Amino acid sequence: MLRRTRTTKKLAKRIDLQYFAHAHPFRQWRFWLSIAVPAIALSWFVLQRAQGGQKVYSAGPLSHAHAVFTQQCALCHVAQAGSFSAHVTDKACLTCHDAPVHHVNQTFTPECASCHVEHKGAMLLQATADRACTQCHADLRTRDGQPHYISSIAGFDRKHPEFSTLRSGKTDPGGVRLNHYLHLQPNLIGPNNTRMQLICDDCHGTKTADVTPHQAAELHPASLTEISTRRPHEQAYMPPPEFAKHCAACHTLQFDTHFGNEQVPHDKPEVIHTFLVKKFGEYIATHPGAVHEVNPPDRQIPERVRQARSARNAAEWVQFRVEDAEWLLYAKTCKQCHTLRPTNDSLPEVAKSNMTTRWLSHADFDHHPHRMMTCTSCHSRTPDSRETTDVLLPGIQTCQQCHRPQGSTKEAAEGRCYECHQYHDWTKTKPTKGDFTIQQLRGEARVPVLDR
Amino acid sequence: MLIDHTHRKWFLGSAAALTVAAAVYVPYALHSPQGPRGGSGIGLTFGTTGFLCMLFAGLLGLRKKFPIWRIGRAQTWMRGHLWLGLLSFPLILFHGGFHFGGSLTRLLMWLFGFVWISGILGAALQHFMPRFQTAQLPMETIYEQIDRVRGQLAEEAGQLVEETCSALEGEVSRASERQRAVSASAGTQGGLTVASGLRTNQQVSVQLRTFLDQEMRPYLERAGAHTARLGQSGQAQKMFQQFRVLLPPDLHSNLDDLENICEEKRQLDKQSRLHRILHGWLLVHIPLSYGLLVLGAVHAVVALRF
Repeated sequence: MLRRTRTTKKLAKRIDLQYFAHAHPFRQWRFWLSIAVPAIALSWFVLQRAQGGQKVYSAGPLSHAHAVFTQQCALCHVAQAGSFSAHVTDKACLTCHDAPVHHVNQTFTPECASCHVEHKGAMLLQATADRACTQCHADLRTRDGQPHYISSIAGFDRKHPEFSTLRSGKTDPGGVRLNHYLHLQPNLIGPNNTRMQLICDDCHGTKTADVTPHQAAELHPASLTEISTRRPHEQAYMPPPEFAKHCAACHTLQFDTHFGNEQVPHDKPEVIHTFLVKKFGEYIATHPGAVHEVNPPDRQIPERVRQARSARNAAEWVQFRVEDAEWLLYAKTCKQCHTLRPTNDSLPEVAKSNMTTRWLSHADFDHHPHRMMTCTSCHSRTPDSRETTDVLLPGIQTCQQCHRPQGSTKEAAEGRCYECHQYHDWTKTKPTKGDFTIQQLRGEARVPVLDR
Repeated sequence: MLIDHTHRKWFLGSAAALTVAAAVYVPYALHSPQGPRGGSGIGLTFGTTGFLCMLFAGLLGLRKKFPIWRIGRAQTWMRGHLWLGLLSFPLILFHGGFHFGGSLTRLLMWLFGFVWISGILGAALQHFMPRFQTAQLPMETIYEQIDRVRGQLAEEAGQLVEETCSALEGEVSRASERQRAVSASAGTQGGLTVASGLRTNQQVSVQLRTFLDQEMRPYLERAGAHTARLGQSGQAQKMFQQFRVLLPPDLHSNLDDLENICEEKRQLDKQSRLHRILHGWLLVHIPLSYGLLVLGAVHAVVALRF
């Protein structure tokens, strides 16, 4: 049987009545930690300030372009005289950058920093949020009344209109006749009567398509990284096909049987005329007996047989031969591709080729990042196009299959406004002149208080 | 602190404030051209409100230092500390747009995260554990006095063993009053003297002393020796059972007392462990809170400038 009892009196006797006067180790720990932690926190701050300058104040890592200025907040955060605040102003940006106006009739101009948001890490400052654009374009107003563009665009997948070229039913104004369907047929007769199958790349290719990847990287170092300068470069647009490179192998320009496979230059009629006169003149000078040759009837254009003419002298012979050659060229060879207009002169006028290299007048496009795809996956109507006037630009739905505003977060390609559109009108750009030293930029010297 | 129906107003108020804040934040985050930022008007409002909540929560420590100040009941301050502290974290997240920012703000957010989570953990512990302690530890004492009580238990155990051994060895002079009474009563009934009435088993006495010196005293004097054999309730019971076989029945009550002392020591050890859990989070929560407030103030000044 238990003899120990726990009465209140007994329990009270156990307690040292002055126990609260001596701090228990637990309380002591709490007290000293409460002093130590803020002290350590402040020490850390002071140390950071001493080692890293103003970096400790930073609200986040700077973008790639500005990362080098991380230690020098005063470059952008310009303190106004007599003011504690040192917020970023447009003036500070314009010290180094030019920022041409978007449109002269825009109702308001946002501050630089409201679109190009800094301290968000290693990102592209041009990669502005759609909201920066749609704050105006979702309900567009202009100073002069009605906007000239679609006035309610909320994003690439929301109310974005079809490309203006397709929307307006525009036709290709090109002056060189081309039948894509025909050119893409199998077993075409190629050079030296060989059979061949043309592919898109045989006629279309970017300017630097033939350089090696290494060379291309040297030209555009940014292309090796995820961050691109986004300025259209040489590989962005397809240059028009060139006759010498892309056509001459099949479309030969022979002009007379006396010269075998020799061809006239692919040039203006006047140049060709001079060339022919020179060629035939030289020929008759070395072959005087040829004056009395009777020319066989022209067999190349049966429906337009020309009567044979006999020359009385060398000059007349040259005249007849030049006329015949030009007749052949302008009635058949050149006409196959070019539109020829008769003039008062004996030589026709060749309509300008007028090839369009850039169909998206309000947007940028770069073929280079799309090089992993087949051409017809976007230009799907090309294999069936028979008319020169056919506009083979793919519609917006083609782009929207991959490009979405959410971009990589939705396993899609970038689809924000900035991907295709430039805010600043770079045609109005002005040169800027910096006034900082390397030491100032690197934070090793103070930035003078300028009127910025 | 029991979180019961008396917290209803605070809960509803905090929930309403959070709802309003979220209702402001969502459209602001969706439609702000540059996304939510701490430096915008709305962002600054969130930041200021959140920091004021943190400040209020931090003032609880000051309030406790001056309990006689007539600035509201301590309970009210505690509830405010709990609910406004809870509310401050989402407000600060809204302030930063769920971004941690640079090194200073990142450190602040980590500190805040630890303070906030330790606070929630602490509130949960304070809600559940006191009741658990009351049920599990009937012999609990003032935490700060546990060391002192432990010493008293060791002393008490020594006296009991000495008393028992004396009885066993027949030393009348060292027999207790009760033993004298028992033997006197026995003598009148059976003609026995005190000396002959008491058992004189020398061997058992030695064993008991050895048990005291080698097992019981080290266990009682050492804090938290729960790995010792006496620290295990079952093993202790078996050990005392062995002595019950050896000792005469009239001395079993001494063994019961010794066993009870060990039980009290086990409860004190358990109380120590529970106390460390119940209050240990304060070693994280309070110091980090002060660090957070200091750096938060630095951040506020820096943010106003830049």
